[in-house]
Amino acid sequence: MKLAKILMAGALATTALTTAAMADVKVGLLGGISGPIAAMSPSMIAASKLAIAQVNAQGGVLGGQKLEAILGDSACNPQNGVDAATKLVNVEQIVGLIGPHCSGAVLAVANSVTIPAGVALITPSGTSPEITGLDDGDKVFRTVPSDDYQGRALARTLLAQGTKKVAVAYLNNDYGSGLAGAFKAEFTSKGGEVAGYAAHEEGKASYRSNLAELASGGADTLVIFDYGDGTGLTILRQSLENGFFENFVGGDGMKSEAIIKELGAENLTTFTSSSPVGEASDSNAKFTKAFTEAGGSADAIFATTSYDAAFLMALGVEIAGGDKAKVAAAIASASNGEGEKVEAGEWKKALELIKAGKAIDYQGASGSLDFNAKGDVPGSYALFKVDGDSFSVKTTMK
Amino acid sequence: MELLGYLNYAVYMAIFIGIYAILALALNIQWGFTGLFNAGVAGFFAVGAYTSAILTSAAAEGRLGGYELPVIVGWLASMLAAGAIAWPIGKICLRFRSDYLAIATIGIAEIIRLVIKSEGWLTGGARGISKIPRPFSDFEYLYTQLSYLALVMIALFLVYYMIERQLKAPWGRMMRAIRDNEAAANAMGKNIEARRLQAFVFGSAIMGLGGAMLAHYYRSITPEAIDPMIATFLVWIMLILGGSGNNKGAILGVVVVWIIWSMSEFVTDSLPAEYAIKAKYLRIFIIGLLLQLVLRFRPEGILPETAKSSTSTSDQQTSNNNKGEAEPSPAQSA
Repeated sequence: MKLAKILMAGALATTALTTAAMADVKVGLLGGISGPIAAMSPSMIAASKLAIAQVNAQGGVLGGQKLEAILGDSACNPQNGVDAATKLVNVEQIVGLIGPHCSGAVLAVANSVTIPAGVALITPSGTSPEITGLDDGDKVFRTVPSDDYQGRALARTLLAQGTKKVAVAYLNNDYGSGLAGAFKAEFTSKGGEVAGYAAHEEGKASYRSNLAELASGGADTLVIFDYGDGTGLTILRQSLENGFFENFVGGDGMKSEAIIKELGAENLTTFTSSSPVGEASDSNAKFTKAFTEAGGSADAIFATTSYDAAFLMALGVEIAGGDKAKVAAAIASASNGEGEKVEAGEWKKALELIKAGKAIDYQGASGSLDFNAKGDVPGSYALFKVDGDSFSVKTTMK
Repeated sequence: MELLGYLNYAVYMAIFIGIYAILALALNIQWGFTGLFNAGVAGFFAVGAYTSAILTSAAAEGRLGGYELPVIVGWLASMLAAGAIAWPIGKICLRFRSDYLAIATIGIAEIIRLVIKSEGWLTGGARGISKIPRPFSDFEYLYTQLSYLALVMIALFLVYYMIERQLKAPWGRMMRAIRDNEAAANAMGKNIEARRLQAFVFGSAIMGLGGAMLAHYYRSITPEAIDPMIATFLVWIMLILGGSGNNKGAILGVVVVWIIWSMSEFVTDSLPAEYAIKAKYLRIFIIGLLLQLVLRFRPEGILPETAKSSTSTSDQQTSNNNKGEAEPSPAQSA
């Protein structure tokens, strides 16, 4: 009992000390540190911390105060996420939350902590379409596009190319069925015809009967939502061998070099695949340079979106003048396609613009962002074609 | 402002502890009093959470829903559904003893989790269900929390009171007799299979209620919330640490484990920044270490089971003797 008391006192003393020593502006950085995405989260956190370090090195926020990121662990589940977020919001008194990293944790944290408390939240990696529909009073943002988006963008791109009739084969899991559902809805509503639409299970030796069934609808283009180093490869090979279809289009999972290696570039002239691009912009180059210097790998998944989430949070805090209630509106105004362009790492420029009362349009490392009314970003996708041993951009997708 | 923050945090802790205490009490019925090694808490938790979510949430495209029933109906239905799922499972699996039952229930919880993940028309699949209503959610942050806390405490009190009453009744003595010496109980003419099934269904129904209460608190439920780590094994750690077979112990275990888990983050946060990520794992280590220490030095838990029987002293002695041999896993002695 005594020991427990001493420990408690110690804990309280340390928290008191840290709060007293640094009267800084605090933001929460809630990552899936332990748990299923433990391998991905260190580079995501490093990217967010890079943005905060740049802000502090170039003059800080609110007239020279330091921005401090308090790290929390969501373990990628709602229980731990809500626990950590409650502490960040109430005990640490953060002005805004960067994270959590997983969709389930985002939904629970937003619903039970940040929305009731009126704190702005930006997630760099919650891709669930459910987040769009949150009853959030415009307090929830994300720098990563919704899963829905890629399927819809691909549908529009195909229609724009003049492909009006397709068959769709998708892997029967949440990735495949989510993409296929969004694609089908958009394709048919914009005047296309889906002549075959079927799920397939993973790891079978032959998909010829599935393909024959799909081909019987009369489409000459097959859209595949699967993984190029798995079942997707088998499907592609068997439809090439048997001549079921002429043109092939894949989702981002199909953009795998395994396909070129196995099937040969000469056989893949009619194959294209959509994939997200960290738009080859100046902003992206600036981020890549800074992040590589800081010891990170800019290709790490969600690194660019994590950086953008933290940078936008800093912009929001600065524009709102540190007022917690105004941060969300400030974030929305900092990347809406209107105003002077600010790129990754240009905090000093942003400070001057804000001081002069000018509107800012943040161009992120992951793309131009531009939040819509739901706090979502459209994302940047491109259609890739096979070019030698790798892929090259054929056209951007809108 | 700071003070209000601490209050909000304290209320949150109380809500979470209350909900997990309901789960720990439910497990206590099965393990503590009947000796059933149910390692599938997450499965019944999930059935309850999703049942209530489907019944009370607004309609959404692509999945079942839109009934918008009152929350209380959802909670009652969650108990019914979890109990109804538990009945056939118990009918088949309760013939297994101790570790075999554990393996079977782990498997069943995984089946339930995968069904939830892949049957999108029913549960929303990997997207889960959001916009689950929470009573009193129109109030200010603190007051919504306080009013939900009141609901959780009422539910916890009812569950606690009912279990305690039931245990003091002849039913409780019979359950302990079956746990400690099945052959003797059988010889006395007790219907062991039926009693076991009763405890399994009763406990699972309460687990369903716990799941529903958490789903309504988070106003969303996704497959991530029913991960066995956080929904099964955490409850086990709480129960074993607090003292299985003792309802107060079960609640105390939840309080101790969650306070250590949650508040240790303040301590690990004060470590230098370069250890910040590693420090998060330190908390998992602390909980593991604590469980090891308790199992080594106090296998009966912080608050051990007290013999409640007052009718005959010999009865009490037998039960104590058997307990002595059988701890920490009473069911294996049978």
